Amino acid sequence: MQRSKKIVILGHFGVGKTSLIRRFVTNQFSDKYKVTIGVHITKKVVALTSEDSISLILWDLEGTDDLDQIRDAYLLGTHGIIFVFDISRPSTFQHLKTDLQIVSRKIPDRPLLIIGNKKDLVPEDELHETLNEHAIQYNYLTSAKTGDMVEEVFLDLANLLNKDA
Amino acid sequence: MLKKYEKEFIGSNCQFILADSNSVILESTPAFLPIKKGELLTDLHPFFECIPSLVSLPERVHSFYCIHLSIANSKYITDIQIRSIEKGQLVLIQDLTKHYNNYQAVAQARNESIINEELIVLKNVELEERELFKNLFIQNFSHELRNPLMSSIAVTQILSDTDLNTEQRQLVEVLRESNANLKLLLEDILSISMIASGKLELRHNLFNLAKLLELLAFTYRTKATSKGLTFEISVDNRVPEFVEGDRLRLFQVLTNLLDNAINYTEKGTVSLEVMFNQQWANKIHLHFVVSDTGRGIPEDRQGIVFESFSQLTLQDKEKGTGLGLALVKGLLALMESEIALKSAPGKGSVFSFDLGLKVPLSFERSATTQSPSKGTSRNIGKPDRKYKLLLVEDDERIQTLLFKVLMDTDQFYLDIINDGAQVLEQVIQNSYDLILMDINLPNTRGDHLTKIIRDFPFKNIKQLPIIGMTAFAYEDHLKTFKDAGMNKVLTKPFDKEELLSTIFAYL
Ligand SMILES: Nc1nc2c(ncn2[C@@H]2O[C@H](COP(=O)(O)OP(=O)(O)OP(=O)(O)O)[C@@H](O)[C@H]2O)c(=O)[nH]1
Ligand SMILES: [Mg+2]
Repeated sequence: MQRSKKIVILGHFGVGKTSLIRRFVTNQFSDKYKVTIGVHITKKVVALTSEDSISLILWDLEGTDDLDQIRDAYLLGTHGIIFVFDISRPSTFQHLKTDLQIVSRKIPDRPLLIIGNKKDLVPEDELHETLNEHAIQYNYLTSAKTGDMVEEVFLDLANLLNKDA
Repeated sequence: MLKKYEKEFIGSNCQFILADSNSVILESTPAFLPIKKGELLTDLHPFFECIPSLVSLPERVHSFYCIHLSIANSKYITDIQIRSIEKGQLVLIQDLTKHYNNYQAVAQARNESIINEELIVLKNVELEERELFKNLFIQNFSHELRNPLMSSIAVTQILSDTDLNTEQRQLVEVLRESNANLKLLLEDILSISMIASGKLELRHNLFNLAKLLELLAFTYRTKATSKGLTFEISVDNRVPEFVEGDRLRLFQVLTNLLDNAINYTEKGTVSLEVMFNQQWANKIHLHFVVSDTGRGIPEDRQGIVFESFSQLTLQDKEKGTGLGLALVKGLLALMESEIALKSAPGKGSVFSFDLGLKVPLSFERSATTQSPSKGTSRNIGKPDRKYKLLLVEDDERIQTLLFKVLMDTDQFYLDIINDGAQVLEQVIQNSYDLILMDINLPNTRGDHLTKIIRDFPFKNIKQLPIIGMTAFAYEDHLKTFKDAGMNKVLTKPFDKEELLSTIFAYL
């Protein structure tokens, strides 16, 4: 039977969680913002090698700036976490450290990738300046709009989860 | 009866599904989802992939709210309850699409407005940063211009004191006027950028408003007459003689408006009117009106004339600076007032503003008018003896110019040094009457030297009048120099009169 892994996508609202999943799953993007309420669940099978594949169950959660508010039921059985912030809006990463503490308290001991999205909106030099200034640690800088680094994020996590299993 | 309705309602919105421990559907009530026996729950929707992980948990019942399901081309927003029972799971799905769609609309509006607000703040921060950069640039650049302009003014002055034929004199006059305009422009743009960057602070001093208006009347009657215009001034007799405020800035506002009026008027009248609005306690409210019979300003340009660098038409031959009205607007804003403009092409223009000023309640006019200002009353050109000056300046052109100006008066002996390091030695070995010192010197600074001199144990050295010269006219700089003990700081460019009257004031 195919192994399936549950991944939750967390972050403040409007950072591009839905857009990243959409880009990854259907390779589409829309400039229109439709606020997610509750949770959308999609599935994508990812080939790890020519024989081996893994099925990712992606839980696209409603964004919030108060991560403590996330319903625990949504997080049950989570294997991996993607935390997304919006590089163009400091409010979404200003409290990154505390946000991540809350996440790891709610979902202990699970692989986590930190993503700075909307990289297309910020000029390269400014981008690193801002992130350094706030001492932001991240794993990937992505753009759901251009597709830059989006696939890499999900494949990276798929591989991490594959090793875990 | 009710049972029927209950069944109808629950039947259409709630679906009960029974599945075995492998998620194979055993049974389902007929409701909104088309479900067949034998199907896999996980094939229905990936949400149900979470079931295996729930089984191992101690709780028997798990509730999930606001789960989006899209099944058989239909979309639902549901609450789902999963109960572990002996045979496997009992799943209860409740269709709450309508309810959640309402909630979605609310969340949509809320999130959008929060995000927009943040983006606007960010945008403003960026604009402010750019504005700050622009103002700093203008301030530094205009300081850079001061030294060469200073040379130009001084050379023109010297030139006009030599023997010239009529044509040469006319040319020098053009030069002098251009210099004066340039100096004015420089001061205006500096003031504008200082206002914009919040560096310009208003003073609140008692001053003679009547005298100020007299001065304006005299100046502008002369200017108007020389252009073939009439100048009229009318002042309400309830306007007090003395008021408290920033005399210099009010003067700047009025001269800019009046200059502008005269520049743009070919024939007719320019007038200044000061009306009395009201008095509250010790605050009076005056209304100033400057009007002309000039060409007028078309409506669509009435906002633009107050922006920096705008001029009515590009072909204007008049020497309007294009900055005057922007400065007026900025200064009045600082004074918590606003300029109003009424104008139409061919009908002239009327600029007006209200101004609140303080009047001292227990002010006795005679007391102030009798106290003469000290220091400046010395008569230039009638010294009792020749004075000995030390000039410390490293810019050779300025050295030469100052030398010329000072020597021409035949009232000074002059020592010139260009190295700050020699100043103290010179001061000890000679007995000077005054030191004229540039502030930016090689290896040291004029204000540092002043501090040292002020700490000397000898009275005659310690109290030497020191006049600083600088191209940096920021208020805070000037304060530093004064705090260091300089008696006065001249800001470049300054002219012959300014220099001499300042020197004599301290001799
Ligand atoms: N320029 C740009 N815009 C993006 C990018 N990713 C998302 N957006 C836009 O950002 C807005 C929000 O995107 P969503 O994907 O809905 O954000 P979300 O994190 O799912 O928001 P919530 O569901 O409210 O938590 C939308 O208007 C997207 O078009 C990106 O990489 N670049
Ligand atoms: Mg979303």
